[in-house]
Amino acid sequence: MSENRKVVIDLEETEKSELGETSELKNIEASGVLSVNNVSEKSRIWNVKVLLNESRDKTDIGEEILTAGEVDAGGKWESEYGISVKAPIVTFTEVFDTCGTVETEDPHWAYVLGKENPVKITLTIKNETSGELDNIILNKTIPPELSNIEVVSTKSGVAEYDEGTKQIVWKDFVIYPKESSELVISATGTVEDIEPKSAGEVVITYRGEGQQRSVLDPDLSALTEFLTGIETAETEPNTWECTLECSNESDLIVRLDKAEVYLTPEDGGAKQKMIDETPGIEMSPDQEWRSSFQVNSKSTPKCTQELAYTPAKTVAKRVLGTIEKKAQVIPVYDIEYTKEFDPPSVASFDKTPVEITIEVKNTGTAKLNEITIEDNLPDDIMPPTSEHISVWVRGKKFSGPFEFTIDPEDQDPEKPHKMTFRVEDLKDAGGELEPGESLKINYAVMAWRNRPEKEYPSPIVCTANTYPAGMPVVDESPEDGHKLGVIYKKRAISTKKAINKGSGAGEYVVVLVVANNGEVTAENIEVTDWIPAGFEYVSTDPEDEAPEVFPVAEGGNYMVWTWQRMNPGDKKKIKVTVQGEGEYERREPEVTSI
Amino acid sequence: MTGCDSLLKITYYGKTSFALEFNETVILLNPGIWDGEKIVPDDFMARVVISTNQADDAVGNAAAIAVNSKAWFLGNKGAGEKATEQGVKPWLLHELKPEVPYEIPDVKIVPYALTRLEGGERMENLGLYIEIGDMKVGYLGDTIIRGPFEHLDMDVLITPVGGDGVFPVKDAVSLCIDAKPRVGIPMRWTSNEEPQKFAKYIEQFGQGVIPVVMEPSQVLEVQWAAGNEFRYELN
Repeated sequence: MSENRKVVIDLEETEKSELGETSELKNIEASGVLSVNNVSEKSRIWNVKVLLNESRDKTDIGEEILTAGEVDAGGKWESEYGISVKAPIVTFTEVFDTCGTVETEDPHWAYVLGKENPVKITLTIKNETSGELDNIILNKTIPPELSNIEVVSTKSGVAEYDEGTKQIVWKDFVIYPKESSELVISATGTVEDIEPKSAGEVVITYRGEGQQRSVLDPDLSALTEFLTGIETAETEPNTWECTLECSNESDLIVRLDKAEVYLTPEDGGAKQKMIDETPGIEMSPDQEWRSSFQVNSKSTPKCTQELAYTPAKTVAKRVLGTIEKKAQVIPVYDIEYTKEFDPPSVASFDKTPVEITIEVKNTGTAKLNEITIEDNLPDDIMPPTSEHISVWVRGKKFSGPFEFTIDPEDQDPEKPHKMTFRVEDLKDAGGELEPGESLKINYAVMAWRNRPEKEYPSPIVCTANTYPAGMPVVDESPEDGHKLGVIYKKRAISTKKAINKGSGAGEYVVVLVVANNGEVTAENIEVTDWIPAGFEYVSTDPEDEAPEVFPVAEGGNYMVWTWQRMNPGDKKKIKVTVQGEGEYERREPEVTSI
Repeated sequence: MTGCDSLLKITYYGKTSFALEFNETVILLNPGIWDGEKIVPDDFMARVVISTNQADDAVGNAAAIAVNSKAWFLGNKGAGEKATEQGVKPWLLHELKPEVPYEIPDVKIVPYALTRLEGGERMENLGLYIEIGDMKVGYLGDTIIRGPFEHLDMDVLITPVGGDGVFPVKDAVSLCIDAKPRVGIPMRWTSNEEPQKFAKYIEQFGQGVIPVVMEPSQVLEVQWAAGNEFRYELN
């Protein structure tokens, strides 16, 4: 096919892009190599000039014409240039979602410490040009935190995970103009410390044949082996036929652009243009071209020629691209809570206000957008009212919106209660909770006559989440955690009794002294004393301490006093007058209380 | 709330000192001396001056006020002896005995034996149940026990909250919950946090009890409007 040989002007342009963590374009550099390739096997070309004219825009080429000199057969002349571009011809996005099982508009971007994070990685390559892209190879580094790596789907091509190199390689596909292709990978992310992790780099190489980043439109001007001459032959006396003859002596295709022949008159005077052609033909090797005219002249006509020809050229161009995406940094979210009772213990059988302070600290490396605290109060605790909760964020009183519910919604101290505090959208209420910062809530409850033999666990579950919300991080107590201490205060109700002779016949004065000698208030005190048969209750001093009196089957009457409460040190002295006949038998009074 | 015959004015002087004023009867309670400072001036005009125990923070300058205003001085035996030493004439002195009422027109006072701790020792302190006009006021003085007050029907309960020999906040709150007065007033606090906590706890757990934290010189007016609507206003 030597007759089809054309000099090749090759434009090989390269673009190299750097993307940031979230696939944003950070930097792009483009350059090119313009080469003149003499594909001839035998013919040199010389006076080679590459004509660029106005197409040099976006490049750093200073001259309209690049002078290449001579290029031997099979030789090459090269010139490098820079190109100014704003974006690559390929758009790449990586979506690294740490919680792919929860669909959200924006991906999740942090791991939960110590949990199996369902990671979903979506890699999308889009061809922004009107030509095909091929030779695409994508390498995704899989970080060590990921396991159970699976290629979920590929829109085109083949993607495989290489366990040895910890790389996903996606290749063997083309992307048609303005279309995109997508690879979806699933994995399990497990982290055991809070240090931010790498999500793994991505490197993509691609080729766009027939495409260019510059707008260079080169033309060629050169000379090669091309035979030309004018034959003058007398056809009749004093009549001459002058023939311009051209012959392509090279093995390249040569384009003849201009053929002019001038005749110098015998008698002098101005030259006359006798041939004026712009054939524009491409002459194959050994092809000839001629043009002639006749002239009357006594002597051999004197002719001169002006020719313009050049080896024909063809332009080849392509774009070779590389995209390097920086690994996304994946922080880790974690929380720790503290819960304190003030006072930590309450006296048994008493009513004591207790302040509960719960602080949730962001101990991870990710910002937190929502915090939930679920606190469980046992029975014998009166819960607060929902409006009496104080909240601090970063040590300052929090005035943003939050939710505080109590279930059941009452203050019955005989029931356990679950209190749920939730603050969402911290980002819109003063900012998310940064690592090291904390949220604190405080409310008061009323310990309600707690019994020393009983335990009062108050377990708590704290959860936190990022924005958008994915898998929550949880810090919780054991189910029997956070026991409110109950200080056992000894109860000691003493009763003393004396039976004294009264002023009248058969009259006795029974003196009862009931005292709370214990360390704790006694409640529902019931004192019972017996009046023997034959005797009747008469009166009590003081009068308002009169007992209930009722008969008993064995004979006699019981006197019963009931007091709701006796404080430590409280003492009651009661004188009961009875009257009757016979011996006043003594029995000891009985006392009960809680 | 003016121009009403049933209006009771309760004026706070700080620590445990209050004056109850109904019509033209003024009862001054515990005009103590604290850190050498008199809470109530000597020229205060009262009809009855009461000290609930013999400590200086209860008796204070009660004798001088009683003498100046020719008022009755009421107190238990210890307080009476101290007042006598300080110049109260025997004919203006009335010893209050537990559960023995003392009455003057518009006023009935029933003292109950309570206790305060002073230097680790128990000291008798009288809690006062004062019926003044149609108001029933419980005044615990300096007490560390509640005595019968949880069973008394009270419109206003004035209770210490400062601990240190008297009720801490928790016991004051506990009593208010049990006694259910209409208004609970803290006194004798040692830090501003104590009355705030008292109010906070009463609001939450008081089941209808209204906490009123008074600053010195503030006056609380309470009345039964139309005989059945309890009203209060803190100036």
